[in-house]
Amino acid sequence: MAGVLVFIEQVGGEVATISRELMGKGRELAQALGGPLGALVVSNDPGALAERAVTLGADTVYTLVDPGLASYTTDGYVGAAKVAVATAQPVLILAGTSFQMRDFGAALATDLDAGLAVDVTDLKVEDGAIRAIRPSHGGNVISTYHFTAGRPVVALVRKQSFSEATAGARGGSIQPLTLPTLDMRTQVTGVREKGGAVNLTDAAVIVSGGRGLGDKENYYKLIPPLAEAFGGAYGASRAIVDAGWVPYEHQVGQTGKTVSPKLYVAAGVSGAIQHLAGMRTSRNIVAINKDPEAPIFRVATFGVVGDVNEILPLLTRELRSRLG
Amino acid sequence: MHIVVCLKQVPRDNSVKINSDLSVNTDGIEKIINLFDEYAIEEGIAWNEKHGGKLTVLSLGTDSWVEQIRRALAMGASDSLLLSDPAFADLDTIAAARVVAAAINKLGDVDLIFCGRNSTDDESGAFAPALARALGWSQVTYVGKMLDLNPAARTLSAERHLETTIETVTATLPAVVSVIKDINSPRYPSLLKIKKVAKVDPPVWNAADLGLTGLSVATKIVNRVPPPPRPSGERIDGPDAAAKVKKLVDRLLESQII
Repeated sequence: MAGVLVFIEQVGGEVATISRELMGKGRELAQALGGPLGALVVSNDPGALAERAVTLGADTVYTLVDPGLASYTTDGYVGAAKVAVATAQPVLILAGTSFQMRDFGAALATDLDAGLAVDVTDLKVEDGAIRAIRPSHGGNVISTYHFTAGRPVVALVRKQSFSEATAGARGGSIQPLTLPTLDMRTQVTGVREKGGAVNLTDAAVIVSGGRGLGDKENYYKLIPPLAEAFGGAYGASRAIVDAGWVPYEHQVGQTGKTVSPKLYVAAGVSGAIQHLAGMRTSRNIVAINKDPEAPIFRVATFGVVGDVNEILPLLTRELRSRLG
Repeated sequence: MHIVVCLKQVPRDNSVKINSDLSVNTDGIEKIINLFDEYAIEEGIAWNEKHGGKLTVLSLGTDSWVEQIRRALAMGASDSLLLSDPAFADLDTIAAARVVAAAINKLGDVDLIFCGRNSTDDESGAFAPALARALGWSQVTYVGKMLDLNPAARTLSAERHLETTIETVTATLPAVVSVIKDINSPRYPSLLKIKKVAKVDPPVWNAADLGLTGLSVATKIVNRVPPPPRPSGERIDGPDAAAKVKKLVDRLLESQII
């Protein structure tokens, strides 16, 4: 076993940001481990994806192209990955943490009898062995994992943990592999976009509202317009999702989404520990609340004590006039 | 048909501390059924009511979890099973899934397993896929809607609710399905049912019962720390709301946050 293998995700025919980040870190780790950096492209129609992976620094890009790989299925994609793993024999396999990649990574690790770390925020090589750092318990516990020698490691890495690979081809090659006949026990019969869905985990700015807004009508009057003025998405605390004001998709926290945008604005959100679990790693936090003792202020970069009903419309107007 | 629901006990919130042996200290925090598992229980009950047969709630834990198992029984599970052994104490997710798989194989007649999408303490979401692969079964994760479960055709169909899309999938049984919060509204058990199961003790299977020896893990936690504290924040003051708003936007622009 030697080197690193990165699973390449694609968005509209391009290499996804997370995969570029993994190629960047993958190169550093491959060097530290003294092995090659491989990339894995699994698709029915890879376009120029393999060539792109070469320019991102892969020594070898393994491709598995088959009509049966048009949609993600566990059997298809794990089956394909196992072919590449058998060929490349990596010590470390890297992928992202989307729902699809969690489904894939845990299944692959089980099949390979590998070590698994999910939601990894840092990776390093010490004494020739891989170490993974991951948060759990709503970010209240940061654990360092070691892995049993002689088994590969599957690490699913959080977005924005590493810098993107700077494109720099190393003369890597593309190696097509053949997908064996697999028992495909699930079939995707349809895919549709979520209506009006916002991918909160991708938003640079998130404006969230809580019970302090008073009622549902106020939430929609104040929060989406402010989010729009920031050019961001809108979220909600569990309390108002459970109260039926806002769909679950918008819930931030322990039982909703975990986000770490550049700016998180918490308006009328008290900052229950369940909510903090989902947003405490945001790079900047603005808290607006009429209770100066609200726990949200303890994590805030900027805190404004005041009535959200008064402050939010003013803030929306101010942003519109100053950001154009 | 025989449906199994996997249940994990978790602390109600994550205001945990770290013990000197690196275990997580949840003392003083109320213990509850992992929220996503409650949705799994409800889904199991609904399909059990439709198709009949057995609905077993299964936990890999300790005696202190029995209260949660009883709650699942009061909600409507027909049977329960606790997997408990000192040898299970320090298992990682994949090893735990292998233990549960051994129990499912021993039960022998299970058609479908419902799990929550992840536990709210460990948060990895790895258990359901690991269980499916350990059993060699189909897996359908992040299900927001079960469209059909057909015992005769041995198939199910479901909607997987992903970040920006909804996939409709069909799968063959036996299968492992993990569910999200949107899928249903878990029922509250009635007082009568709570009383009825108050003294029920689940059967306990240990490592020997499952024929498991020399359980091995591929991961080891060698350090655990609390997160670094956030730098202390800045209070935006002003004579009135308008002044505070102006100052806030000034600071956001100066700091190049927007």
